[in-house]
Amino acid sequence: MGKVKIKRKSTLIDMTAMSDVTVLLLTFFMLTSTFLQKEPTIVYTPSSVSEEKVPVNNLVTVLVSSADKSGKLDDKASVEGKLFISFTGDADSTLSSEKIRSMMLEEAVSIYNQQHENAPVQLTNKQIAEFSKINMFGVPFAKMSDFLNMSITERDKFQSDLTNPAVGIPINDNKNRQGRLNDFQIWLQAIYNVAQRINNEQSASLSPEDAKKLQNLYGALMRQGQGIAVKADKDTPFTTVHRVFDNLQTMKLNKFSLMTALKSEDEPTN
Amino acid sequence: MAQIEQSDGGKKKKGAQKKMQIHVDFTPMVDMNMLLITFFMLCTTMIKSQTLKIVLPTNEEVKKEQQNQAKASEAFTIILDTEYGDDNNPKVDPETGKTIHNIYYYEGIADTTFQSPKYLTKEQFIGNVNHQAQGIRKILRDKNKEVMAEYDDLKTKWKNKEITKEQFDELAKKNSSDSLKTRPVVVIKPGPNTTYEGLINALDEMNINQISRYSIELPSHTDTVLLEHYAQQHGETIIRPTIR
Repeated sequence: MGKVKIKRKSTLIDMTAMSDVTVLLLTFFMLTSTFLQKEPTIVYTPSSVSEEKVPVNNLVTVLVSSADKSGKLDDKASVEGKLFISFTGDADSTLSSEKIRSMMLEEAVSIYNQQHENAPVQLTNKQIAEFSKINMFGVPFAKMSDFLNMSITERDKFQSDLTNPAVGIPINDNKNRQGRLNDFQIWLQAIYNVAQRINNEQSASLSPEDAKKLQNLYGALMRQGQGIAVKADKDTPFTTVHRVFDNLQTMKLNKFSLMTALKSEDEPTN
Repeated sequence: MAQIEQSDGGKKKKGAQKKMQIHVDFTPMVDMNMLLITFFMLCTTMIKSQTLKIVLPTNEEVKKEQQNQAKASEAFTIILDTEYGDDNNPKVDPETGKTIHNIYYYEGIADTTFQSPKYLTKEQFIGNVNHQAQGIRKILRDKNKEVMAEYDDLKTKWKNKEITKEQFDELAKKNSSDSLKTRPVVVIKPGPNTTYEGLINALDEMNINQISRYSIELPSHTDTVLLEHYAQQHGETIIRPTIR
């Protein structure tokens, strides 16, 4: 009887195929991903059956913060209804997000300074360049200069603390377009002015193709109502959201969209 | 696969070098890739938000003569309300997991004499149950039945591939604003306790029921009187003092 030979098997597993698969997956995720934009607070939007997608380009998002849900604060409504604005331009370089943001800031600051001659806001070019990199902001004009001097981490920390009264764009029930506008209205006025200016002046001096791109922003804002999206939590009281609507109406930006999540409904058969 | 064999042409010579096996271990590579995949998976937004378009009137004052008055026969007013629990958060229905929104509606002009038992009726957003419109959806659907009949026809045509999606959208839009049909004018009045979700639900019903004429207004004094009377009659507390 011969000896039973136990064959020694190597436990090495060939990982090459595995590596191939992971690289493929990685490529897929890298190509399809659009990064989550950093937002100072998380809101859960209500759902609707509307199937229209949020436009990727030329969008002004107005975020309305919700009441505290973590239960850490005694007065949970104190962090409610703070406003943040985010500007997104075209992916194209003609009217990139950076350019739009600095245009908006310069316009808004000049409107603010006209109204507050005693305490004007002076921003350096460096500060404006810094602003153009910020995705979402929510500070009053009076604090803008200090805010832009902070480092990125300091800014994030500053903005995520909603209990700070200096966080959030000031808003009130001002219905008078001619009087002193509140900060939120100044931003809306700036959006309106920039869109108008782009439509009137710049398109004349540009090539038809570029002019068309610029007009997209104007068109989105004024005609189709896709330019401004209000994002609010489903449990936020209507009165808080209504104040935002009311200011938009006062500033003649009465066509806008509301951000919602998709809800599926079973179809009626009759 | 990950080995490279070095052979020397098959012929064995004297003093030939030993076969060399180069084995590359890909395990760390896989580890790293997995980490990267995890990172990208967590950072991506696969689901994009939807938008609901809304057009509101400007706040500029309009003279009484220029205002359009809706016909009393077409007017349909819904007053929204959201139930709050003891913890000051919107009350959630334990079965469906949804916030409880109540709707109080009346047709035509508000009946402040409370003669008709239907001066105010309570309803809820139920949506479709077993493919049948329920709750406020059924009521709105009945109100807009002329439009909805044609809309359903169009939908069937689209489902049967007789018309394209674009044609369907265009025809549906035309249908919903067809002035020859009897269409309601819905006035949405969100009460003091309404959450944003309640409003979105109401706007959603407008979309679902193809109602093209609607407006959002704050409840008037008359509405408050109606609600208070209703509350007394039914032993409910509708208008709670605002806690916030």
